[in-house]
Amino acid sequence: MAAPSVPAELAWSSAHAEDLVAEVQALYERLRPRFPEMDPGDLKLILECMLRPWGTGRGFFLRQIRPGVYVP
Amino acid sequence: MSPDEEFLTTLLKALNASGVEAIIVGNAGAALQGAPVTTQDVDLLVRDTPLNREKLETLSRALGAARPAAISELTTAVRITGAAFPIDILFDSMSGGLQFASVRSRSREVAVADVTATVASLDDIIRSKEAAGRPKDTAVLPILRDTLRVQQALDQSGGETPT
Repeated sequence: MAAPSVPAELAWSSAHAEDLVAEVQALYERLRPRFPEMDPGDLKLILECMLRPWGTGRGFFLRQIRPGVYVP
Repeated sequence: MSPDEEFLTTLLKALNASGVEAIIVGNAGAALQGAPVTTQDVDLLVRDTPLNREKLETLSRALGAARPAAISELTTAVRITGAAFPIDILFDSMSGGLQFASVRSRSREVAVADVTATVASLDDIIRSKEAAGRPKDTAVLPILRDTLRVQQALDQSGGETPT
């Protein structure tokens, strides 16, 4: 029997997040020596944004609710 | 799926249905390639033809938005207002003298749910922001340049980006 189709937001769990963290960490350790001047936190953030699957709750937009005040 | 992901998926499906060939440029295009940036709108680059103008009206109707209208007297770009987020349409070229055909030739295909987005290369997005030179453009340049370097490193090593 085929596995049931589960929406990504329901399938996404702490275990998947742990896998993502491990994947990001592995790439970070590989790339970090190539970019010593890059902020380590930025490098991890870029890798996380590149590797995080679509449909797992990423935000892209900001709304301005009044001058100078923005909310996701 | 977040509301933002849902909106982008809906937009891409509506773009496909309308038949207009559009390249996502600006911060939305960068974010779809993994740049950790946010934006207040989606910028699309299209060819300026009568048929595309008609298709953009079809697109706006499909999104439940108003017809494309001029943004200001300072630009030929138009804006679709009334969808979840504004959609700005740039015709034929964008800042930096980047023409549709050349941007298209360097663009990347990004899988988004069950559709594909055509996004301008990070290099082109950076060049357009350098040329635009507004504070909001220059503010994101450092993180976009870092993202491009990471993307190039991953491409060279076999490609582990989602593109």
